[in-house]
Amino acid sequence: MKKPLLVSFLLLTLILGACGGGSLEGEEVSITGALIGTDQDGFRAAFEPFMEETGIVVTYQGSDNFEQEIQIQMESGDTPDFALWPQPGAVVDAANRGMLTPLADLDIDLEQYQTDFSSYLVGLGTVDGVIYGGANAANLKSIVWYQPAEFEARGYSVPATWDEMIALADQIVGDGMNPFCFGMYSNGASGWLATDWMEDIMLRTGNGVDSYDQWVNHEIPFNDPVVKNAATLLSQIMHTEGYVVGGTDAIVSTYFGNAQDPMFSKDANGNPGCFMHRQASFITGFWPEGEKAGAGSVTTVFPFPSIDASLPAAALGGGDMWGAFNDRDATKAVAEYMLSAEFYNNVAIRDSNARLSAHTGFDTSLYAQPINKILGDTIAAALSANSFRFDASDLMPPEVGAGSFWKEMMNLAVEGPGYIDTALDTIENSWP
Amino acid sequence: MREVTQQEKLMSIGISMLALGIFPLIWFLSQALLFRELTDAISRNLLVVFALIIGSSFIFFLFLGMDKIIKLAPKDTRDALEARMFVGPSLFMISLFLFYPAVRTIYISFKDRYSNDFIGFENYKWAFSDPEMIVTIRNQIIWLFFVVFFVLLIGLVVGWLSDRLNKGEAFFKSIVFMPMAISAVGASAIFKFIYEYRPPPLTQIGIINGIRVSVDRGPTLPGIKAGEKCMNNRIIDGEFKDFKNEDCLNPIGWLQQRDLSNLPFAENLNPDNFFSSILVNLPVNTMLLMLIMIWMFTGFAAVVFSAGIKAIPQEIMEAGQIDGASEMRVFRSIVIPYIKSTIIVVGTYMVVTVLKAFDIIYVSTRGDLETNLLAVKMLDEFSKYRNFGRSATVAVLIFVCVLPIIIGTAIREKENTRS
Repeated sequence: MKKPLLVSFLLLTLILGACGGGSLEGEEVSITGALIGTDQDGFRAAFEPFMEETGIVVTYQGSDNFEQEIQIQMESGDTPDFALWPQPGAVVDAANRGMLTPLADLDIDLEQYQTDFSSYLVGLGTVDGVIYGGANAANLKSIVWYQPAEFEARGYSVPATWDEMIALADQIVGDGMNPFCFGMYSNGASGWLATDWMEDIMLRTGNGVDSYDQWVNHEIPFNDPVVKNAATLLSQIMHTEGYVVGGTDAIVSTYFGNAQDPMFSKDANGNPGCFMHRQASFITGFWPEGEKAGAGSVTTVFPFPSIDASLPAAALGGGDMWGAFNDRDATKAVAEYMLSAEFYNNVAIRDSNARLSAHTGFDTSLYAQPINKILGDTIAAALSANSFRFDASDLMPPEVGAGSFWKEMMNLAVEGPGYIDTALDTIENSWP
Repeated sequence: MREVTQQEKLMSIGISMLALGIFPLIWFLSQALLFRELTDAISRNLLVVFALIIGSSFIFFLFLGMDKIIKLAPKDTRDALEARMFVGPSLFMISLFLFYPAVRTIYISFKDRYSNDFIGFENYKWAFSDPEMIVTIRNQIIWLFFVVFFVLLIGLVVGWLSDRLNKGEAFFKSIVFMPMAISAVGASAIFKFIYEYRPPPLTQIGIINGIRVSVDRGPTLPGIKAGEKCMNNRIIDGEFKDFKNEDCLNPIGWLQQRDLSNLPFAENLNPDNFFSSILVNLPVNTMLLMLIMIWMFTGFAAVVFSAGIKAIPQEIMEAGQIDGASEMRVFRSIVIPYIKSTIIVVGTYMVVTVLKAFDIIYVSTRGDLETNLLAVKMLDEFSKYRNFGRSATVAVLIFVCVLPIIIGTAIREKENTRS
């Protein structure tokens, strides 16, 4: 009984040993992440040329429960080779727990990486000067959606400054219509849209990106005059009579994915429900089926207007970041490929793609959808000028960024401008 | 039967300890150690093969070994030992998968975020001082009280009335029971559509708001029929019609209402008056979410109660009726006492279900706007705020709430078996 078993074990060891040769041919590299659906197909497609060339088999598995699953995998030590997190905070968190391999150990040219993706993006995945996170895709939030045809028909011009936007809004109200679409209900994350507004305003007031960074790192308190000024400007949009379609009730009650629908719904006089909707680039995925094709032409974007003219143009966005769990040779090869400009080629040419490369050297003319070219150029320009900033609420401690900040923005919307001080004080007190 | 000697008694205790304690422990530990050493020593695939072979033979050798040891015991005690041998592993499994996690959760609840340092009762202080936690606990209490009460009440009434039906009782009961067949996730999705809100120019697709916007609040002008001025905005004859009018009611985001302030009849309530201040602050969204659970479980309660009522001997009911008791009196003095234990069982089941209530909140609001419950809060603390200590604390709170019920049930079981 014992002997044949032993022999078969020995044989098995021999066979397995033979497979692991010097070449990377047939090596497997696993990646998990939160991308699902068409995004998952796109991400998988990105590896096709790489797999053909090197013979490394890259498998990507997305899950809408990714963040819980990777926590459990890290606890148990059963990790994939890479994890692609939807925000860099989680990369820092994993690095702090000693789970990730520094990019230097993956033989990445760190200087080249910094020039390609901007020192700001790289800095988001850095812990104590050691770079752990690899930047990947980015999205742009500093945009306002509008329909050029509706603007032209009424003689409205695209506002370049905050004052012009307010003047335009007043004009639209005067014409008996509502200027803004604004809906921020989101199961379990209600209020994040208002935090985005706050961030965009913060980038354009005070000392621009400098005071923004101070705010994110809690070097100035949450109830600082600069922040209060931003909240006051936001409250002007939310609480001025007639500005938001459906009124204040609609702001807290409307699901963010449905928020832009009034723009597409014209009444008997041909007037849309609203004219402007400030929302990130991914909102196109929530539009009614018939409107999706018009993204970039029928319905397109103008940049979030500047507020303080002395500050340089800034862009707010978000993005993915990956971390590696080991330094195998195959892992190194995949990491290098993911940081190359070509990585996104195969993704960009897909019709269904809504994701944008964070690589400043990426050829934006490859994007199949016209809107993505506009957005991609804006992101690349902002990254090169080092004025691209990440969603502040994603960078703040989760008690604030995913807790009190969201919650108090909901309360602010309901309670009105008189609540600004209370809201900011409450958030300041909740900072751990 | 001859007397068991002292020596034999000792021998059997010794052997039972050896057979049911020491031997399984050594056997188990040896396997664990073997695999711990093997994990790093041999390749993964080989390890899987190993684990399959040894894992499948593990139980076999365990019982074989225990049996061999028990065979050494005196004949008279062997039967009892063998019985214990078969109960033993399941007891062990229960303690491994239930008792150990429970103890460890309590242990973690005294530690910080990542379970590094002990922080004493900090997490418990947080649980009873954090405004969000207080709202969560408040909601849990409201849920416990209202859901259990209404499920029992409506269930009893429906069960009693359906028993009075001359025909179609089975049909009626199966209709009431139907929601039970829908999962909580499905039921929440259905109700989400009922409460759905769209910003005004859009067509209201939720039935409540659909009816609401058709209500004409102003004095109906002569010549204009009611329901003509106010209607759900929709495409009529190929043209989108907007029935915007001052007299029409606005739609309401029902799951976003934390109080009654947006409802017209609450406008005249005086918030300084104690009673009306409770009404003004009535958490509408929580109430509407509770409705989902009441809707789901009423049928279950009704069917169970109806079975209990059927078991009441006809003679007692008739005796009551002959004595001139009214229907209400029969219900109160005969039916209720007779099915008391059924009511307690259903009540217990409902209390535990409400304490575990997770899916309704998770699907509908995810705890936003003060609708959270403890079970969802526990997950939020774990995955959203990544605070393991606090998450464990919330889990312990739920456990503590369930504890009296478990003890109560155990006591009742004991009484039942005794009588």
